[in-house]
Amino acid sequence: MGGVTVFLLLIWTLISPSSNGKAWPPHTVCRDGNLEVFYQSCDPLQDFGFSVDQCSKHLKSNLNIRLGIVLREDIKELFLDIALFTKGSSILNFSYPICEEDLPKFSFCGRRKGEQIYYAGPINNPGFEILEGEYQVLLELYNEKRSTVACANATVICS
Amino acid sequence: MAPCAGCFLLAVMFSASCKAITSSDQMCTEKEANKTYNCENLGLTEVPDTLPNTTEFLEFGFNFLPVIENTTFTRLIDLMFLDLTRCQINWVHEDTFQYQHQLNTIVLTGNPLIFMAETAFNGPKSLKHLSLIQTGISNLEFIPVYNLEQLESLHLGSNHISSIKFPENFPTQNLKVLDFQNNAIYYISSEDMNALEKATNLSLNFNGNDIKAIEPGAFHSKSFQSLKFGGILNLSVILKGLQNSTTQSLWLGTFEDSDDQDLTPAMLEGLCEMSVESINLQKHHFSNISSTTFRCFTQLKELDLTATHLKALPSGIEGMNALKKLVLNVNNFDQLCQINAASFPSLTDLSIKGNMKTLDFGAGCLEKLENLQKLDLSHNDIEASDCCSLQLKNLPHLQYLNLSYNEPLGLQSQAFKECPQLEHLDLAFTHLRIKAPQSPFQNLRLLQVLNLSHCLLDTSNQHLLAGLVDLRHLNLQGNHFQDRRISKTNLLQPLNSLKILSLSSCDLLSIDKQAFQSLGKMSHVDLSYNSLTGDSIDALSHLQGIYLNLAVNSIHAIPPLLLHTLSQQNTINLSHNPLDCTCSNIHFITWYKENLRKIEGVEETMCANPPSLRGVKLYDVKLSCGITAVGIFFLIVFLLFIAILLVFSVKFLLRWKYEHI
Repeated sequence: MGGVTVFLLLIWTLISPSSNGKAWPPHTVCRDGNLEVFYQSCDPLQDFGFSVDQCSKHLKSNLNIRLGIVLREDIKELFLDIALFTKGSSILNFSYPICEEDLPKFSFCGRRKGEQIYYAGPINNPGFEILEGEYQVLLELYNEKRSTVACANATVICS
Repeated sequence: MAPCAGCFLLAVMFSASCKAITSSDQMCTEKEANKTYNCENLGLTEVPDTLPNTTEFLEFGFNFLPVIENTTFTRLIDLMFLDLTRCQINWVHEDTFQYQHQLNTIVLTGNPLIFMAETAFNGPKSLKHLSLIQTGISNLEFIPVYNLEQLESLHLGSNHISSIKFPENFPTQNLKVLDFQNNAIYYISSEDMNALEKATNLSLNFNGNDIKAIEPGAFHSKSFQSLKFGGILNLSVILKGLQNSTTQSLWLGTFEDSDDQDLTPAMLEGLCEMSVESINLQKHHFSNISSTTFRCFTQLKELDLTATHLKALPSGIEGMNALKKLVLNVNNFDQLCQINAASFPSLTDLSIKGNMKTLDFGAGCLEKLENLQKLDLSHNDIEASDCCSLQLKNLPHLQYLNLSYNEPLGLQSQAFKECPQLEHLDLAFTHLRIKAPQSPFQNLRLLQVLNLSHCLLDTSNQHLLAGLVDLRHLNLQGNHFQDRRISKTNLLQPLNSLKILSLSSCDLLSIDKQAFQSLGKMSHVDLSYNSLTGDSIDALSHLQGIYLNLAVNSIHAIPPLLLHTLSQQNTINLSHNPLDCTCSNIHFITWYKENLRKIEGVEETMCANPPSLRGVKLYDVKLSCGITAVGIFFLIVFLLFIAILLVFSVKFLLRWKYEHI
């Protein structure tokens, strides 16, 4: 019997995620009347902080955000992938370059691994109307080596 | 006795079973045996014993080393590169690196340094690169000066530095890169710059510093490789300050999140008083752009106006005869002719990619650019039903042309006859409308590289690639073939010089044995992401020493007859195939293990069949098929046993019969 327990323990340690396996806590981006936005970091190594200056279903263009994160990779090149789902089916996928060698759009482009970044400023988004419903959004920031810089699982509830 | 006989039989049968071995992981990841290790994010408080003494490159970031001293790295005397990013280092004590004579790079980014001892960097014979980014430095005196004579790059970004004046005894003679990004530098004085007098060909980065003033003459008769003043509000302050300096490349761009002031001709006047070869002004706004805006740009060789909100360049700009390279990416042109190309007669390199609007190709808009060698028009939504003779009129010296990521282009025979010197043509992800039997590339006798990936080609057109006698590299990724197979006669036949061929993601089921017969010089064949089976390897039997990528196909087994073809190649990738690990494929599995050094992607090359071995790496599989020596022994013993039993039973039967007569 003891042998079996030891064996199961061994299997458990082999298949369970390396360091802790605990998930990062969910955070609120904003909650305002008929719009709620939550996110959770899906980078197993670290959490990050994020907020938006306004929260409304009529999303303004050129929103201001605040972002605080420790870089685990150089971001000479930085790309954003967004995947939008509702009720388990995919609605929208797109990829957008944020920092490129020949066009560093933001002042933080080119910062190095290990630097702590605080960005408070515009993100140059188009304005649009959020339709009623519940949405899941997967956001991933990665560099030219496809190494993850940040990853977020977000939920948008619009009523 | 009988159950035992059964055991023998079982033993014979089971000797054809298999075993898998798994190796245990080390804490640090080995990237190159005995040399390169990554120990990041492990929460280590010391150098682990498992690291060999011969380690040369060590990534040790995101661990916990509050104090580093002469005992911390004692054992690792061959270290060349040491990354200690964000290890919560407070103290760098005396002689920390005294045994590391080979050390040339130390990275201390993101450590809350309290103090570094005078002799902290003693030891290395030639310390070339030092990174002290975001370590809380407010005063350059904080950096110990001993043993930095060989220093070539010093990164001091994201600190609290307000003055760039180095202490008098700081060795700057070998410095090539000095990075002050994101500090608090408001003022640069002559004294500051004089401390850098000994450095030659220096690249200085002041991006993200809000420089309000430069002392007149601070840069007087000094020369630099590159100067960066990104995100600065008032450019005239910088340009006045740079009076009488010489710079190869000057970066004055701004960013999405920086405040911006419109550029006026008056602000750019300082450029007349300095010598500069290359300027970047990305993301600025020009107020009332006219030919006078560029009055002081006459000596310039390269100009980058990426995302400067341009709708047109003014006509009649005079004196920009020296300009060789012009970048107009991410602007708002409606028509290519709006760049008024005639102002830049010496241009050899023009890039207009990612235009914010659909760009009209026009007719002969670039015909005055007789010297043009390189042209990038990718990501512009360009559409043309009859391309490209009229559009690319009079570009006799063009060598490189990029028209990738555009809208459909209709190509006729000799579509590129205006640029017969083309060596490199990229049309990836642009839908090409070519009617058979047209040969659009007919006259491109010098073309070496052709990218036609995802062009929705009609591959049944045998003449499509006619005339490409010198083509070395062809990418046909993502195009489809009739009946999902490449037949004996196909469009590749004229390409006698071809060395590199990509046919990945072409949805192929098979390749005829003689499909590549005329391609005798190939050295790199990519057939990944198709549905090919093992038989298609026969098409490569006439080739030797090639790189062959067969990853992500439908290969179950490889017939023994084709193993010879594989053996004569250099590198083979068979990863992500549903490989059969039963005795029917034993010849291939034996061959695989004998040729592991030729295999790429061994970790992803796994069995799919039988179910018991699904996911096991092929090099771990042990099969013994047929009857082994032990098996034969047991079988003989078993047969002997049956024979004896038979003899005895006959004897017994006879005796029984006799006794009852």
